Formats: sequence, structure tokens, C-alpha cells
Amino acid sequence: MMSMLTKHWLSPICLAAAISLSSQPLLAADSDNAEKSTTLTIYTYDSFVSEWGPGPQLEKLFEEQCHCDLKFVGAEDGVSVLNRLRLEGDNTKADVILGIDNGLIEEARDTNLLQTHSVDTSVVKDSLNWADKTFIPFDYGYFAFIYNAEKIKKPAESMQALLDSEASIIYQDPRTSTPGQGLMMWMNSVYGDNVDQAWKQLAQQTVTVTKGWWEAYSMFLEGGSDYVLSYSTSPAYHMVAEGNTQYKAALFSEGHIAQIEVAAITRNTENRELANQFLNFLVSKEAQQIIPITNWMLPVIDGVELPEAFDQLIQPRDIGFSSDHIANNRKSWIREWRSVVTQ
Amino acid sequence: MAFYGLLSFSGQPFQWQLLQDPYLFSILRFTLWQSALSALFSVLFAWPVALALLHLRDSHHKRWFLSLCVLCFVLPTLILITGIVALLGQSGVLTPFLGEDWNIYGLSGILLAHIYLNMPFAIRAIYLRLSAIPAGSWRLVQQLKLNRWQQFRYLEWPAAKSATWITLGFVMVLCFNSFAVVLALGGGPKSTTFEVAIYQALKYDFNIPEALLLSWIQLIVAGGLYLIVTTFGHVSWLGQEVKNRTFLPHPSPRERRFYNVVYSAAWMFLLAPLTALIPKTRDVWLDTEFWSSLIRPLSTSILLALMTTLLSVTLAYAALQPYRKALRTRSSSALWLDGLASHTLVVPAMVLSVGIFVFCLPRMDIDQWGFFLVMFVNALVSIPFAITQLKPALASYDQQYWPIIQTLKLGFRQRVYVEWKFIRPVLMTAASFVSVLVLGDVAIYSIFGNQDFVTLPWLIYGYASTYRIAEAALASVVLLGISLALVLLLEKQRSRNA
Repeated sequence: MMSMLTKHWLSPICLAAAISLSSQPLLAADSDNAEKSTTLTIYTYDSFVSEWGPGPQLEKLFEEQCHCDLKFVGAEDGVSVLNRLRLEGDNTKADVILGIDNGLIEEARDTNLLQTHSVDTSVVKDSLNWADKTFIPFDYGYFAFIYNAEKIKKPAESMQALLDSEASIIYQDPRTSTPGQGLMMWMNSVYGDNVDQAWKQLAQQTVTVTKGWWEAYSMFLEGGSDYVLSYSTSPAYHMVAEGNTQYKAALFSEGHIAQIEVAAITRNTENRELANQFLNFLVSKEAQQIIPITNWMLPVIDGVELPEAFDQLIQPRDIGFSSDHIANNRKSWIREWRSVVTQ
Repeated sequence: MAFYGLLSFSGQPFQWQLLQDPYLFSILRFTLWQSALSALFSVLFAWPVALALLHLRDSHHKRWFLSLCVLCFVLPTLILITGIVALLGQSGVLTPFLGEDWNIYGLSGILLAHIYLNMPFAIRAIYLRLSAIPAGSWRLVQQLKLNRWQQFRYLEWPAAKSATWITLGFVMVLCFNSFAVVLALGGGPKSTTFEVAIYQALKYDFNIPEALLLSWIQLIVAGGLYLIVTTFGHVSWLGQEVKNRTFLPHPSPRERRFYNVVYSAAWMFLLAPLTALIPKTRDVWLDTEFWSSLIRPLSTSILLALMTTLLSVTLAYAALQPYRKALRTRSSSALWLDGLASHTLVVPAMVLSVGIFVFCLPRMDIDQWGFFLVMFVNALVSIPFAITQLKPALASYDQQYWPIIQTLKLGFRQRVYVEWKFIRPVLMTAASFVSVLVLGDVAIYSIFGNQDFVTLPWLIYGYASTYRIAEAALASVVLLGISLALVLLLEKQRSRNA
């Protein structure tokens, strides 16, 4: 999820996609017919396709293998990818969707807009225990609150401590963003029936709730808040790319929710072979080498060499719900959240 | 079509249980609360400024100030939002003076932006009424030796009373339908208005039944408010001030000082967010990569504005034909047509967009036709504005020239020529007005737009929300330049018409 951020990072949502990626003319008529090679269209989230994200490198590598044109289309965040697919239904231009997570798997499956893949899932790390026929994981990590250790000397050691403190917080909207949705699961698994009260407490400290991870994280880096919802792996970026050690993830005693990011093939794709080839490529060693140091998440296969910074990351205890439980409760959790946070 | 869309989506029924959701009531409460506050403050602050404008007859640059008022009211909201963030955001120029707890995101930011956008409208409306007070009344005031309070109580307040109330209601309707300001400065779900809730239901949740239900509620409430306001009459604000006023009592020195302070404060308030943009642009001034990335959205916006304006003005002109014919033949349907044409303002852009979106969803590839849909819906929304501009001019043209044209038996080409000559300035006014509105559109774009044709305001929104203030500011300055040129054109045409 973390493609990132130096002073001049990235062209945002619109720019990256509109200018450099879109091959369509201004008036949107389809002129792709003239091109000889097939185009594989992938819906993903904006930071994945940004200049510093994994998108450009993966694109280059894969295009060398497939002699095709790989086209990424960026939405604000993971949940938006699924929303867009649902909105377009069978008319979707996507061959592959990439960037939804374990929390959305069952809901995505229920749309009947996806098909099974032919990838051998035994390459995936044993610890992830992966055997899904539709979805292929490409990275994983744990949701965590990031803080600036130069500003916060005594970070919160639990969710409860964070809510009891007066620290300001930025997080993402669970309706659009997978981290936001992760926080929702986190809060529900820690507080259960008392989650209302916890949301209320959190609302007192909230600076703003953003649509996507990127907005939130860049606002935090500008000094917008004390904590921002992100990933346990985020500090690795600052260490590797910037040599900064002041950004740290807070380790919470209640445990953390894991996110496994996945990709899947759409039902109506005309490029089924190519789409499967791409999913195979995603779990290949060369792609898995790139993803951790561009998306700043953990690789899903064994034997990938990681920079030393990854050894210094927190090792959270895993908590959470089954995919079925999430699918059954997501709507009511969202309703609950939104009732509390609207004034 | 929009209404048909609003009624149906693949047979999914309304989610009536939403009516029992506390969420609905909290957004209704918040929408009404913020719009009432915005309207109240806009009018409250407008009064002293209007008085100052009236009594400082020789004040500098009064004409410029009034033009600035027009600009502020039609200003693309994203420019203002960037300006406010540059001034009062996390690393804003004025933020250090505002204390630890200051947070622009939320009600404070929304109110600030709404007051900025609507106070100028109120100033103009009230000032126009004040300046219409006849000289005789002022003489009487002086002869009766009324004190300042009595002068206000018996002369100024009655003169602008109805304008005040109508403006209050009108601004409230505008703020009730506000979208971009709330989306960008609301600070997430804690301040959600109906427009934003509809957008979120559609784009965040893909919950079409909920979006439709919210649209209907928005339509009913906003429509009700609007109908109440219009029964009290309508307010003129674009009109010219009454000139040649020969007499006005001289304000006392203390009064004068007060007016001067108010007048300067108003200038500063209106200019501050716009000037705050300029120093922020410094970082990217010479960044050629940035400039080249601006070309596409810029040309998209200009093309969109041009085409929409052409469509809107043509449609408005065509829509007025039956009305003209009825007026010429003195048929009773004239009144009815008049009513129809001027009441289309009721339907908020967002509601219209959602209706059309749902209608089109199963019928066409919305992505592919996005540009044309944005153009079409923008044209629909702006037609009432074009009509209110064109209607009086066409009516007076018919009144003055129709008998002569008939007597002279002019051919078609000659008639077109004569009419063109007469209505050209009004057409230009209408066109520049519509262009500015289209240039600033965010609501309609947010529903139909996609990455293949990013408009300038949407680009600014992208920059502002990822905190790239320098880029947002520079893009805003460019958009501001275009809007300013259009407003100046509009003001020039208008003074020529007068």
C-alpha cells in the first residue's frame, strides 16, 4: 500500500492516470483498435500506480515478457476498486482487479463478477495458508498507527491508551479505503458491543477522515496530526528511502489486524490467458522483490531478500475475524460507524 | 429522464428503513444548521458593508469592489478552498495566530467558505436597494433631525428589508445544496450534508437505493425552501446601482471612521484568500513538468466550458421562443411559461446528476460518454441562469421591434441580423455567466467524470487533498485568471446594457 513520498513524490490520482497512463484522446472515444498488441487493464488504487509505487516497475518487467500493453487505472483506494467494478458490472473494462484485501474477499466473490485463476498457490508462504481459487495474494502487512518519535515521546501502547490520550488522529474512510476498513475491524474486534463508545471517543480526537490512504499519510507528514492509520511496515520506507528513523509504528497490546492484499480476474475478460500470466507474475520472485520496497508491505513468498530495516519493524500479534464474519457484518459496522461520527 | 431515473433502479425498492436511521437525521440537522448559520452570518456581515458603500460616496474603487463581489459569488469554489487552506490550514500563513486547537476542517471551514461566497451577493442585493432610496427621503431625514438609529429604523431598514429576508432565504438554499466546500473542508463524515451523503452513497457504498432516497429528501427540502423564498419575491443583485443621486447627508466623523474600517475590512476579507495563493505558488513556478501536466486539464475545462455554454445559451434561447410567441399574441399561456422557465432552479445539480446517472447506467457506457454527460447536465443546470439573463432583453426587443419588423416585412436573414445586433451584449453576458459556472463545477463532474478527462477544479481538488498546496495554488491562480477575465467581460457588457 505504501508507495511513497519524498518531497516531490508522485503525481496524484488524476495526474498519474490522466496524463501518463491514459492513451485515450480527450473525447474518450475508443481508438485502441489501431494498436496491434492486446491491452491488459488493471484496476488498482492510486498509490500503487504512482511514480514511486510498484506500478511502473512491474509494468516494465511484465511488458517485456508478454509483449502486451499493461494499463493501470487508479482509484482512490482498495474499496473504491471494488465499488467501481460493481458500478460497471459486466461492462467493466478491467481484466484484473488488484488491491482489495482479505476483508473484502467474500463480498467481491458474491458479486459474481470474478472468475477462478489457474495459478499454483503452493508458492505462497505457508504462514499465509493460501488455497483460494479466485484470489491471489501479492503482499501483506498489519494495520498500525504511525507516529513521529521526535514529537511523541511516550507512544500509546494499546488502542485503549490511544483513545484515552488527547493525541490527534487522521484515519481513512472505511467506505472507500482498506486501511479505514481495517480500523473498523480492529475497533470491532477490540470493543465488540461497546464499539459505539469507542468510536465516539475516537471522533473527539479525529482531525479528518480521508478518502484514501495517500491523503491521510501526506497530511500526517505535513504535521497534520500526532498519529495516522497506516501499516506496521510504513517505517521501513522512511528508513530505506530517506534514512529517517523518527517515524515508528505503535505496538498495541490488544493485537493488530492483518491485511492481505489480493488480485483477481474479472468474469468478462477477453484476455483470460494474459490475466493468469499476470497473476503468476505477481507471485514470481522478481515481482515479489519489487513490491516490498515500493509498496512497503511484506512479500507473500519465501526467499525474498529484504533490506535490514524490515528487521526493526514491530511484530504484532494477529487478531481479527474470518472473511465470512466480515462479509456478514461489514454493512452494519459501517452504519454504526457513520451514525456515531456524523455530528 | 432524471426523474424517471430517480424512481427506478433495476427494480430495487427504496430502503425505507433508512428513514429510521439516526444517520439521516444527523445529516438533515447538520445540513440545515450549517446553511442557516451561513445565511445568517452572510447577511449580518453584509449590512454594515452595504451601509459603508452607500455612505462613503467618494470611496475609492467602489466600482472595483462591486465587481469583486460578483467574482466572489461566481468564483469556482475550489480556488477559494485552496486559498482558505493556504491561509488557515495546517501550515497556513495565519494558523500560528489561531491557537493550538484551531482546525479548519469542520464547521468553521465550511462557514468561512460559505460566508465568503455568499456575503458579496448579500452586499450587492442590500446595497442596490439602499442606493435606490430617493434623495427626497434623505432630505426629509435631515430636516426631521433623525439620529443615526432612527435613520436606520425608518429609512434604511424598510428600504432593504425585503431584500434582506429574501437574500437570507436564498443563501440558505444555496448553502443547503453546497457540495465542494463540504467535501473538501468538512473533515470527513463528521460534517456531512445531503449533497455529500448522496455522492458517498453512490460512489463510496454503491448503494443506489440509498442515493435515490436521499436525493428525494434533498429535492423536497431544498425545493420547499426555495418555494417559500420565491413567494416573497425575487431579489436583484446583478443590477446597476442608481446613479445621479444628488443628495445624501454627510456622515459624522465617527460614523465615517466606522465605515472606513468596515470597508477596508471587507476588502481584506475578500482579497486575503486569493492573494494568499500567490506566495504558495513559488515552489512550482518554474517547474516545466508541472506546467505541461496542467495543459490537458486546462484545455479540457476550457473546451467543456465553451461547448456547454454554447449548448446552454442555445437551449435557453430556444426555450424562450414559445414564451415570446405567447407574449406577442398576448396569449394567457405566457404567464404559465414564464413560471415554468424561472422555477427550474429548484432541482439541485447533484439530484439531477444522480437521476441521470441511474437512468444511463444500464443503457450506456457512462465512462465513455462521461465528457458529454458532464456537458449535458451542466447545460441543463445553467439554462435557468441563461434564461433569466435573456428573457427581459428578448421581451423588450419584441416589444420595441416586432411591430416594425412586421410592417417592413423583413426577410429571415434581415430579421436575424437585427435581432443579433440587439441581443448580442445580453447573449455575451449570459454566456460569460454560464461559462464561469461551468468552469467551477465539481458536483456534476464528481458523478460522471473519470480520469480520461480531468477538469481543472478536479485537479485542484486532487492536489489540495494530497496536501500539495503549491501545485493546488498555482492551478487555482490559472483558473482564477480565466474566471476574472470572464467576470470583467460580464461586467463590461452589463454596464453597456445599462
